[in-house]
Amino acid sequence: MWLSILGLILGISLGLLTDIQIPPEYANYLSIAVLASLDTLFGGIRAHLQQVYDDKVFVSGFFFNIALAAGLAFLGVHLGVDLYLAAIFAFGVRLFQNIAVIRRIILAKWAEKKEVREIN
Amino acid sequence: MKKRILTRFTVIMFIIGLMTAIQYNTINEPDIRDTRDAWEIRQELARENQLQSELLSEISSLDDTLGKYEAASDASPEQALRETAGELRKAAGLAETVGPGIEVLIEPSLEAVAMGLDIEGISPDLLIRLVNEINRFNGLYVSIDGKRIINTTAIRDINGQTTVNTKPVDTPPFSIKIISKSLEDSEKLYNHLLASRILDDFYIDNLTLTVSEPQTDLVIEAYDGAIDTKYLQASEGE
Repeated sequence: MWLSILGLILGISLGLLTDIQIPPEYANYLSIAVLASLDTLFGGIRAHLQQVYDDKVFVSGFFFNIALAAGLAFLGVHLGVDLYLAAIFAFGVRLFQNIAVIRRIILAKWAEKKEVREIN
Repeated sequence: MKKRILTRFTVIMFIIGLMTAIQYNTINEPDIRDTRDAWEIRQELARENQLQSELLSEISSLDDTLGKYEAASDASPEQALRETAGELRKAAGLAETVGPGIEVLIEPSLEAVAMGLDIEGISPDLLIRLVNEINRFNGLYVSIDGKRIINTTAIRDINGQTTVNTKPVDTPPFSIKIISKSLEDSEKLYNHLLASRILDDFYIDNLTLTVSEPQTDLVIEAYDGAIDTKYLQASEGE
């Protein structure tokens, strides 16, 4: 767990220190990509806690979701319809659901542990 | 197995962190860069300097007034107040003003007369252009065909007639009187008007401008209407 947080910190510091910028027109795509990746991440954590984690699903979902979201946004820009809202909505809803499930599982585990301790 | 999951998560987290940081960098771009060259900065500086000197002269004139008030507070405060009110009326255009200035005569061009063309009134656009030109070059008080220009003066077309202060301007010839701060300023304005492109603009409309030599005592009429101060409010100051 700590290793993955280290990875996050490493990524953020690398991004901030190198001061990479993308053209402002593409900021929209990147924000959707960030949302998609967060969604995949929390989906992965949930799957892991529910013991249904699959490596292939996780990695392919990560890249596929990002590509799909960016593609949808791109299509939306060219058709004049705000299609990226669809992506934001879908990912946002899923993000909240996943986090809720994760919370429940952790709470249940915690309560179980407490019970076990009390019995002992 | 567990280790592999951890590695995957680490890599994904790394990518998320990188993307977030890049997004942050993009959104928080520094303000627009200053791309002015030395010459533009010099001009800016010159403008600010001019503003400063104007403000200083205003301060000194206000100080003078204050000094007058203080000196006259025992003797005759009424006199001092009346003087100030008179000055303000003069600045607002409510009093007849005498000063150094030039007179501009607007006439139909010789060609138009020789060809027998109809003499049409001056267009508001042209008149506004001329007034702007005058204001740009130290014209202090202006009257067009006997109609004094004040802060709220509108030059516009009403029912096909060019009006100043809602009163119609004569068809040319008519005269425009301009008072400047000093005779020097008048001379500058005179030279500027003589060389200005606005002469060409007038010529397109079959009109010519004749600018008289600067005079020391030009009289400009007072504004004869009432100034509507319905929407003015006293400012909260000092």
